[in-house]
Amino acid sequence: MHPVDSTTTAEHRVLQLEEALNEAAQINAELQSRDALKTQFLANISHDLRTPLTAIITHAEILRDGILGPLSDKQRDSVASIISGGRQLLEAVGEILTYARGAANQLTVSPSEFHITAVVAQVAALNEPLVAKKGLSLSVDVTPGVPSLVADREQVTHVVSNLLGNAIAFTPAGGRVWVTVSTTSEIGAQHVQVEVGDTGIGIAPEHHDLVFREFAQVDPSPSRRHHGTGLGLTIARRLVELNGGRIWLESRLGEGSRFYFILPAGDPR
Amino acid sequence: MRPHILIVDDSADVTGALRVLFEETGNDVSVANTIRDAVAVADARAVDVMLLDLTLPDGDGLSVLSTMRSRATEPRVTAALTGRAEPEIAARCTAAGCQAVLVKPVPIAELLRRVREWTT
Repeated sequence: MHPVDSTTTAEHRVLQLEEALNEAAQINAELQSRDALKTQFLANISHDLRTPLTAIITHAEILRDGILGPLSDKQRDSVASIISGGRQLLEAVGEILTYARGAANQLTVSPSEFHITAVVAQVAALNEPLVAKKGLSLSVDVTPGVPSLVADREQVTHVVSNLLGNAIAFTPAGGRVWVTVSTTSEIGAQHVQVEVGDTGIGIAPEHHDLVFREFAQVDPSPSRRHHGTGLGLTIARRLVELNGGRIWLESRLGEGSRFYFILPAGDPR
Repeated sequence: MRPHILIVDDSADVTGALRVLFEETGNDVSVANTIRDAVAVADARAVDVMLLDLTLPDGDGLSVLSTMRSRATEPRVTAALTGRAEPEIAARCTAAGCQAVLVKPVPIAELLRRVREWTT
């Protein structure tokens, strides 16, 4: 090939590549701006849903507590269902908002020093009525000498609450749910490990990655028995990672599930 | 005299529910949907407890407190009502002079108990 021709071809290629790069950058910018819009939309819609829900739940509680006059047992049961439905909806809306903020990198960590055992005890106590209602047993086991954490307490509480809520939801009557707190070591550093286990329906190994993926439900059919936004574990993973930890599961279909997360132990100053 | 509760929130549905709750439990209730209205209510009659939403159409709800302070009409107790319990929001409310930060919807039993504590 003549040297001049070869230079011209190379220059032409460079030009083509530059054009392609520019186009890719434009598409990327466009996608980012659409993603930001979507996140803002989710945040707005969550706020707009919370406000009427607040009114609905407050009005229903006023009725339930007889502030506007006594109710019959049937009326009270009916109103109690409005409240529990409203609270479930509120939780779903909260999850969407947390997800939207996580997607937009707006979740910040406010670390403080605390013992995970206090968090586990608090979440377990809150879930006791549900555990009793479903005919399950719940045990909490703490290895002595577990160190404290320096992490965002509210976010860690959210994670424990989500894992325990799932364990209870997916375990049929007569089953067992447990939380075990222990100390472990990873890459030479001391970590606190929390296991939330159940004897419930379990998750097939091929679905293990799916459960942490946003909007994913292992059973996506409209008739599925367990409802939710499909964001709970996505958020849990995000929160654990934001606090410097790791989350995973061990499970097989029909053999229950064990979810684990670890967080770095507090600075032993 | 019955305690005077001021509810500041831009949602008529929310203020409607809280008005019923507090009127039926022996309080005088005023409602304001904006910062301006809230300041006007406190000018007209001393407020025992103010329940304050943080997002109002004419600005940051917490600015109501400094305006009222400058007019010597600050309520005896102010509780912020927020959508989310985040430490930075709570810290901002406390710094502005709120005695409590409550997450909406506050279970009414808790709300009534707190307001009773503050008004007796």
